[in-house]
Amino acid sequence: MSKDLTRRELMRRSIAAGGLFAAGSLMPVSSAQANQAGGQSTSHATTEAETRVPATIAGDKVVQPRRELPVLQKTSILVVGGGPAGTAAAFSAKRLGVDVTLVERYGYLGGLATGGLVLAIFPLYDRNNKQVIFGIGEEMMKKLDVLKFGIINRNKAPVYPTIDAEAFKYVLAKMVLDSGINAYLDCWGVDAIVDAKGAVHGAVFESKSGRQAILADIVIDCSGDGDIYAAAGAGFEKVKSFIGIVSRIGNIDEIDLFAGRGPEDHDKPLTGKPGSGRPSGGRVNELTSSAYGHAGLLTPAPHVNWVNLRGPIADALDVADLTALELKHRLGTWANVEKLREKPGNEQAYLAETAPQLGVRLSRLLDGVKKLTFEEIRSGAKFKDVIGYSGGAGDADAFQIPYGSLVPAKVENVLAAGRCISAEFKVADITRLIPVCWVTGQAAGLAAALCIQDKCKPRDVNVAKLQNLLHQQGAYLG
Amino acid sequence: MTFLRRVPRRVIQLTCFVGAVVLIWPVLPWAIAPRFFQQASPFVVLSSSIAARSIGVGAILALIVAVASSFKKRWFCLYLCPTGFLLENTSRTGLRKTSWWSKCPPIGRYVAILTLVGAAFGYPVLLWMDPLCIFSSPFAVNKATNPVSVILVCLGLGVLVGATFVFGMLWCVRICPLSGLQDMLFAARKALWTKLTASASPRFRVARRVFFAGGAAALLAVWARRAGAARYRKSDTLLRPPGAVPEDRFTGLCIRCNNCVHACPTKVIHPDTGHEAGLAGFAAPIIRFDRDYKYCLETCNDCTQVCPTGALTPLDLQQKNKYIIGEALVDNDVCLTALGKKECDACELTCPYDAVKITWDEAQYNAYPVVNDKCIGCGACEVVCPTTPVKAIRVWTQKPL
Repeated sequence: MSKDLTRRELMRRSIAAGGLFAAGSLMPVSSAQANQAGGQSTSHATTEAETRVPATIAGDKVVQPRRELPVLQKTSILVVGGGPAGTAAAFSAKRLGVDVTLVERYGYLGGLATGGLVLAIFPLYDRNNKQVIFGIGEEMMKKLDVLKFGIINRNKAPVYPTIDAEAFKYVLAKMVLDSGINAYLDCWGVDAIVDAKGAVHGAVFESKSGRQAILADIVIDCSGDGDIYAAAGAGFEKVKSFIGIVSRIGNIDEIDLFAGRGPEDHDKPLTGKPGSGRPSGGRVNELTSSAYGHAGLLTPAPHVNWVNLRGPIADALDVADLTALELKHRLGTWANVEKLREKPGNEQAYLAETAPQLGVRLSRLLDGVKKLTFEEIRSGAKFKDVIGYSGGAGDADAFQIPYGSLVPAKVENVLAAGRCISAEFKVADITRLIPVCWVTGQAAGLAAALCIQDKCKPRDVNVAKLQNLLHQQGAYLG
Repeated sequence: MTFLRRVPRRVIQLTCFVGAVVLIWPVLPWAIAPRFFQQASPFVVLSSSIAARSIGVGAILALIVAVASSFKKRWFCLYLCPTGFLLENTSRTGLRKTSWWSKCPPIGRYVAILTLVGAAFGYPVLLWMDPLCIFSSPFAVNKATNPVSVILVCLGLGVLVGATFVFGMLWCVRICPLSGLQDMLFAARKALWTKLTASASPRFRVARRVFFAGGAAALLAVWARRAGAARYRKSDTLLRPPGAVPEDRFTGLCIRCNNCVHACPTKVIHPDTGHEAGLAGFAAPIIRFDRDYKYCLETCNDCTQVCPTGALTPLDLQQKNKYIIGEALVDNDVCLTALGKKECDACELTCPYDAVKITWDEAQYNAYPVVNDKCIGCGACEVVCPTTPVKAIRVWTQKPL
């Protein structure tokens, strides 16, 4: 088969794509870090003079002694989490000339859009198939447009675009390097730094360099789980949703579900009543039966599909749940590919990868100045402090997102963006999606930059000014 | 003299005609008004009361009409019947001015007997021939969603007007079961009045007619009920409006007045071409969830309130929301979620009864919508399901236990 992509070839391609990224990561991330890295790389022996104080056993309890944390960086805006929301926040803030530090838990940027293999850029459109999300997200997609195998189905509403994870990692890495943002990867935000009044002044991180602090005037929590605002004492609603894992399958060609059926056949039932001896002549297509497993959807890479797994409802804040699913989902994904290979024509399909990150949908939802309700999005509510639109999903049309959904009701100096903003579960189920995270991220980034420029609290940001800045950066506000 | 005598009758007729239109058309704020129009017909009330083994308040109106008609021959036809008024004027402008139809046998009486005896067996065979139902049917035309429905709702009155235009007053005088029933009521009253003064032979003839017509009616009723039940068992897609009596009796009790079609705000009730329920169910209402129209609303029970015969039992909103129209079933070979094509939960989000849940199946290692027993088959999920050309979740006939 000429269409076949051998494992070797895929490896070669991914090394080619990954190589660029690897080369990028060796370049100085910022001038300060470059000096540091350069200084250390000359000698193999490090002179680490820190005094480690381990946890101790005190009676039947394990106690972490009180200790001073080294301050890794002082910055104006600290963005915790380098996913779609975090990167959008960091880039948009940096463009106003503010000092921005971006911290990411994994070794790459893009969060669930890359590491979670959530390649669908959905929801982008309103009910009339008009794109309603632009700004930083559109810029990123434009950068993908010029890459071979970077993105497909652009501007083909209602079909949504699908990106390539490695291409997107490349784009984000390049954007970070070009922007002058201080970035720390492999660095996990674990705690908030608060003053006596409870206002936030930075966050604590755990990395191979140990536990360190970053001090900041404004912290934008793009951790997805709201780890920082929760640690700072902001109110939140804990929710459970399903947790799955996405995989990519090589050497496969998607088959059209309703191949050969035109709109003129609308009245003809294709399938009989489920579970009661269906008419055999009425099968849609023998080869699309769910008995053959999930073949998934097309990606920009040829003969590679991405397969979603919805997964069961689980607690994203419980390490036992996460561990169980990390393990079981890998078995389930493998079984799916084995089933898939039984389908004629798919004998050579193979599991290219499972996503490095679990597909966590929702965990914490902020108690914000404004909680966006399902009733509001259904009735097409208009907000004075609108900062952008979400596309329509399900039977909900595109809807406005107010700035108040990003601002905690209680704690100062923090903004939330991404999936953990202040919204009802049913709304958050839409605002958690990739392009909407771009929207809330960009707005949070600009709002934080305004806080620095105008020396005000996030809740006192001049909304007209914010909207004006969003317009200037190409965002769509209706 | 004759002129003076004729004018009041035509004034009364015209008034009744306008009154009928007001009742059927939802001009009145009273939603159940249309029902009282057909319930003015003693033929409808008598037959449906016998068939349903119950009698409603609406019967009072029919009783008044019946008593009046037994004293003045065809009083209802001459003064009140809007169909009669319409046909009378049609025949005036029509082709035939002669009364050749007087040679025709009194078919209407046989129809009435057939229907009444059938009603005793639970299936009023020819109840749909009632002139008031035929008159009200075309008023549902504004809820018709396709040309076929337009034809179906207008068919009855169209045929009558056409036939009257060509053949004169044949229908009113000889075929109409309501006039036939009035004739019989009049004759019965007279017979009682005159204390059996007539000779034996005509009475014998009448008895023979009743015997044969009754026998035929019994056979027809039993056959129709069995056929209806069989058809229902076989069908997967036959859905009746909420409150519908069991299928074996429904097609008999339903008089095709289209009040329910007219009452439905979301246009999900359609007259059936016979495709779903066969010849016996021709033009009777079925539910179909067309892609551009809405579902059976959880805030509405209008159709159950306007049925004059009890083919649709009157249900309050709570009862209606428990009436099982059908059952929603998911086809996992089409469902986007089950196939892993898209993270769709449109059915779960839209269901007004919390009856659909996307459920994780550990054995299949897959998630798909599962319908629980709260489902009444309102069709909300079907209309919102995004798959084309076939919906992954559809409402199917639920078989009786």
